[in-house]
Amino acid sequence: MTWIEFVQIWIIAFFTISLFSFLYKDNPFYRIAEHIFAGLSAGYYVGLVWHAVILQQMINPMTEGGKWWLVIPGILGVLMFSRFTKKYHWVSRLPLAFVMGNTAGIFILSELHGKVIPQLRSTMLSLNPAQGLEGFLLALIITIGVISTLIYFYFSKEHKGTLGAIAKTGIWFIMISFGAHFGYTVMARISLLIGRILFLIDDWGGSIIWLFS
Amino acid sequence: MSIWMILAYIFLIVFGAWLLYKTFRTGDRRFIYLAVGFYVVFPILITLDLPTSISPEAEQLYDAVDTLPDSSVVMLTFDYYPSTLAETEPMSRAALHHLFRKDCRVVTMTTIPLGGPSIAERVTREVADEYDKVYGIDYVNLGYKANYVAVLKGMGTSIKKIYPTDNSGTPVSEIPMMEDIRNYDDIDFIFVVADNAIVDIWMAIVNAQYDIQVGTGVTAVMAPKFFAYIGSGQMTGMLGGMKGAAEYEALEKQAGTASKGMGAQSLVHLFIIVSVMVGNIIFFFERKPGDKK
Amino acid sequence: MRTTVPVIIAFLSGFAMILLFFISPEHSKIGTVELEPEVLSWVTIVGGFTLLLGVVSILRVNYVAVQRKKEGWIYNLATLVSIFAMAIPAILPESWSPLLGTGTGSIYDWLFNNLDAPMMSTMFAMLAFYIASAAFRAFRARNAEATLLLITAALVMLWRVPMGEMLLSGIHESIPEKINTYIMNGANLAVQRGILIGAALGAAAMSLRIMLGIERTYMGK
Repeated sequence: MTWIEFVQIWIIAFFTISLFSFLYKDNPFYRIAEHIFAGLSAGYYVGLVWHAVILQQMINPMTEGGKWWLVIPGILGVLMFSRFTKKYHWVSRLPLAFVMGNTAGIFILSELHGKVIPQLRSTMLSLNPAQGLEGFLLALIITIGVISTLIYFYFSKEHKGTLGAIAKTGIWFIMISFGAHFGYTVMARISLLIGRILFLIDDWGGSIIWLFS
Repeated sequence: MSIWMILAYIFLIVFGAWLLYKTFRTGDRRFIYLAVGFYVVFPILITLDLPTSISPEAEQLYDAVDTLPDSSVVMLTFDYYPSTLAETEPMSRAALHHLFRKDCRVVTMTTIPLGGPSIAERVTREVADEYDKVYGIDYVNLGYKANYVAVLKGMGTSIKKIYPTDNSGTPVSEIPMMEDIRNYDDIDFIFVVADNAIVDIWMAIVNAQYDIQVGTGVTAVMAPKFFAYIGSGQMTGMLGGMKGAAEYEALEKQAGTASKGMGAQSLVHLFIIVSVMVGNIIFFFERKPGDKK
Repeated sequence: MRTTVPVIIAFLSGFAMILLFFISPEHSKIGTVELEPEVLSWVTIVGGFTLLLGVVSILRVNYVAVQRKKEGWIYNLATLVSIFAMAIPAILPESWSPLLGTGTGSIYDWLFNNLDAPMMSTMFAMLAFYIASAAFRAFRARNAEATLLLITAALVMLWRVPMGEMLLSGIHESIPEKINTYIMNGANLAVQRGILIGAALGAAAMSLRIMLGIERTYMGK
């Protein structure tokens, strides 16, 4: 370990502990760390857009590749900032409409072609008795689950009678899925904490040992 | 098991029970915080290593990568924010070890504006150096471009149009490795490591429209959703959260931070389950007769 | 003018994307320029500028707070200083010094790896404490549905960690496999599939509404 690495680790440890200190109660260390974090994140965007978008996608291809037409998306991008004015804020709708329109055009097909059709196909084709009893039963459970979930989220008709019974079945399925989701979410959050504790023990703790050795 | 480990476990149980009791008596949630912190720190300090079983989804992903011919072109994405590094970085590292060991050519990219390019650059270079891989010949970092729907769709026809340069600004046309990589047709496998809904776009656009195998490593929060894609055969394997990363590390025999964290993960889960049970027992006995809510 | 032109632009760009889906790239060229990736690269460029909108907002809010010396303005000043400390060295040319630009070893890279990334990780790591506390205080088996949710959550939490899996296998060795098959790849898969189909149909319908100009909320007031 070098002294530079040592200082680096201590800076990270200082801000990590400052943020964790909020668990005890709000304090100036937490607040300063929080505000520096927000500022650095915003600053990161500036550097990223300057290099990845303005230089790499616009200026360089225009100056070196002669792609003058790239000035059009550049102008559209700049028009976005008109939303900060009172009089011309509507102009920002033009680039926004361009982005939204393109995305919508892609989505109409991809949502149906890439999600609805394959998922429906899989549900229907899985009900093949040739796959054995256990496989068939699992496929049947899935089919019932898919249908009852869809019906539970169908609000155009009151959930009464047969529809109500199916929707009720849907709730049971949904509870199982949400339970699984909760279990996984707990796991995710604990993992993030483990990551920070591993840093504090291995790196920061290691730097303290290095200092005294 | 040594006498010290038995004593350690007894200490763990007694201390946890005392903290739960204090929480219940005082109503101060900071005792719970202390318990969680304790159950994370303790197993790491005593290096509690536990064997990791492999899920079928992780095995499917590993096998798909493993059966790729050597020197295949694999796109590895860094679609995650720094907030989930603990779960996702070990996945990227394990994947890179696997890919470089197989001499695959790796194209990295990201759709995450906050940190994506920097993380991709740092992680890929660190692992590549271990295998003496050369930038521009064995791997390339394309970096970030905005609007992921347009990026993913556009690369189907021309990667160069969407990424005229790599992350550092070198024109893609001047990078030797990219000479014969024009679009998805020239990529053999896509390994998506992500912490957000971008995975849906990889499946709905790239997998469905360009018929390319996509395997994923996702955060645990996202994982349950993607079982639908596994079931429909659209997704070729999945790693779920830190456990998923530990599984890939175990398969690749590259124990990393994910494997190291499994002891802590186990203990905190057990503590939360016990605390929920205790909370429910208290709730049950404190409930007034006839009170349904 | 203020709404008609954006609606026309949205329709034409969306329609172009649908049309290009059915035409092979070789047949959708203007000269040597391939139309689809060209238009999409424009979208990525415009999309890039939207990131800066947020930065401008943060700058404005914090500048006003500092200028008016609002309570805690010193923190707003820290935000402003951090923005400039990150942004200015990043946009200066790397040819002047290796500390400038965004490459490895630059100030930008150092600030990200040693301050920004660890702080963001820590912020989210704190959720572990909150979720544990919330589970203890609020996760109650109040009725049959809540009990089912609670039991599933406990089973999944056990199954996903080595120690819990050992416990479950100790009861019966097939339990972990059954959880994977019947909970994750059974009931959970079914619900997620149902939600996926419903949400996809909704997204497709919403896209159509945007293209046809029925949905205009993205335009703001």
